[in-house]
Amino acid sequence: MNALGFAWRSLVRQPARATLGVLGVAAVGALLLDMLMLSQGLIVSMQDLLDRGGWDVRVSAGELPRASGRMQNAGAAADEIARLPAVRSVLLVRFADARLERDGRRPLPVSFEGVAFYGDAGGTQPVNWLVLRGRDATGPGEVVVNEAIAETLGIEAGSQITLRASCVAEREALPPTRLRVTGVAEFPFEATSENTVGGSIEALARACGGNAGDDADLILVGAQDDPDVTVAAIGAILPGVYAATNADVVGRLQETGFTYFRQISTVLTTVTVSFAALLIAVLLTVSVNQRLGEVAALRALGFTRARVVKDVLSESALIVGAGGLLSLPLGLLLASGLDRILKDMPGIPASLHFFVFETQALVLHVALLAATALLAAAYPMRVVSRLPIAATLRNEVIG
Amino acid sequence: MKLVAALVALLAVAAQAAAQNSTTPPPDILVSRHLAEAQGLDVGAVVRLATDAEGTRAREFRVAGIYEPTPDPAQLGVAPMGVRLHLPDLLELTRPVGVPAGAEYVASINVALEDPDEARAFARDVNARVPGVLARQAGEAAGSAGPFRVLERFHLAIAVVTIVAATVFLLALTIMLVDERRETVGVLRLIGLPARRVLVQILIEGLLVAAAGAAFGLVLALASEVLINTFFQWRYDTALVFVAITPDVAATCVAIAVPLGASATVVASWALLRRGGLRLARR
Repeated sequence: MNALGFAWRSLVRQPARATLGVLGVAAVGALLLDMLMLSQGLIVSMQDLLDRGGWDVRVSAGELPRASGRMQNAGAAADEIARLPAVRSVLLVRFADARLERDGRRPLPVSFEGVAFYGDAGGTQPVNWLVLRGRDATGPGEVVVNEAIAETLGIEAGSQITLRASCVAEREALPPTRLRVTGVAEFPFEATSENTVGGSIEALARACGGNAGDDADLILVGAQDDPDVTVAAIGAILPGVYAATNADVVGRLQETGFTYFRQISTVLTTVTVSFAALLIAVLLTVSVNQRLGEVAALRALGFTRARVVKDVLSESALIVGAGGLLSLPLGLLLASGLDRILKDMPGIPASLHFFVFETQALVLHVALLAATALLAAAYPMRVVSRLPIAATLRNEVIG
Repeated sequence: MKLVAALVALLAVAAQAAAQNSTTPPPDILVSRHLAEAQGLDVGAVVRLATDAEGTRAREFRVAGIYEPTPDPAQLGVAPMGVRLHLPDLLELTRPVGVPAGAEYVASINVALEDPDEARAFARDVNARVPGVLARQAGEAAGSAGPFRVLERFHLAIAVVTIVAATVFLLALTIMLVDERRETVGVLRLIGLPARRVLVQILIEGLLVAAAGAAFGLVLALASEVLINTFFQWRYDTALVFVAITPDVAATCVAIAVPLGASATVVASWALLRRGGLRLARR
């Protein structure tokens, strides 16, 4: 019988302790997998979100669009950007707070996203949302709404909504505007509890009673080639604005907002691995100590030192291996729960995830668990390898 | 009125001019330690501040002092490059061209009450008397607290998983340890000690071991508290406290760990004590 089969029989002989050992490793392994997923999750998710949008450069008044004021004379700026040779297409984005009128109930607060294409390739570029049902809004009297609004109001493509939007000041008393819903769309950067309406900049101006001004929160730019070249070109013609590639945005996230999660992931990964190694080492050591007589008898029967060491290592590998396998579904389940908790943070886009499963995380998870199995077995392996056969057998008989 | 306002995004466009060159001394400002270090500013230095990168309508100010910014968890990882001006100077600097003095607005007014317990009633009173103004208690107005409440829930969830894992391991260990003492327990039963008496003894032992473990855990936590805070305060250049082992936290840990340890011992021993003394003492 090989070492693995022998270790299996040893574990099966003590089902309670073996099961508890495996369950313990599974719980610790699940936490370890989650921390590895967290270590890069937000970055991977943000990169994916930005790439899916199809735009390469973001131009705004400051580092954080919507939090650092609006760009003035945005139409002229977008036009200038669109004429740059390094630019493929341009989308001007303007946000406004609005209230959606409901019969006999309090108005629903919504965010109105108005967009306008500049340049020749406008029609072929993706808008800042994905139409799920119906068609995109094109005319000044048309809008798309997100799922939350469609569900709350029970509306679909073809319905009419009444909006009051405030483009200039928060407390404007504007007349209501009737708009036609042409479709239901997904807005990738909207927060979990946000209600969003999208349409052309003309539709936004109409909802604002014609008082929209000529400013923008964001100008999205599609680059012809290298986004860095496009950023440099924009910086040369518009020195007062902040232009960033998707990589810059992700880099900024890595330096500031994400750094906390990376640190906590590192700390918890270290603690988890140490915790697992320590506990499995104690389990194996106690188990081996209880079986010293048995091990000595096996040595006396002809088992080599290497063979008994291999038995202990196999036992450790079986406990950690089974626990590790179990930890994968457990970890994914736990990650989805923890992700839901963290996504309650205000302003976090609903499509962004803190925990993202990647092959790299899985490989690291397996490597760390293998190292844990080895580390945990080190001391008990030393005990069995140095076991004096005759003295141990004598102690067993007279003890 | 000598109110001091926090200036969020002013740009120091030129530093270091001699104060004695001007006839009227420039107004005083305070700069954050981070800004002073980044720009090499000392007390007495004269700087020019403007509201845009081009330095339009820049004005001279004298650095009267360097302050340590109040730690702000929401600004973690961002060096607080702050300047504090007297409110009239700030309004003068930021007022758009063509806007008459006195037409400016402020974002918020902080009010300190003689009796803080009356904060809610005071806010209600202000809301009733001044239409268009929203008065809230400071605790309610702290919008940035939201993310930290979420983080608190996240940490709690991780703590629960850790406790579950620890409990499972603890149970496995106690089962093995109890099994190791099978013969001793068998002899005790054979000399007449009832199962209940042996169980009480095991429970007391479990309590003692769990209490010792909890005490050791607290010492370890206190040591890691210093280590983690030192590292993160250095890493983010902040005075924020990241880990705080408060009496409440310590009490909660002990309240969980000791009963858990003792219960694990009793649960592990239960199956053993149901067997007969002879069977236990059998070699």
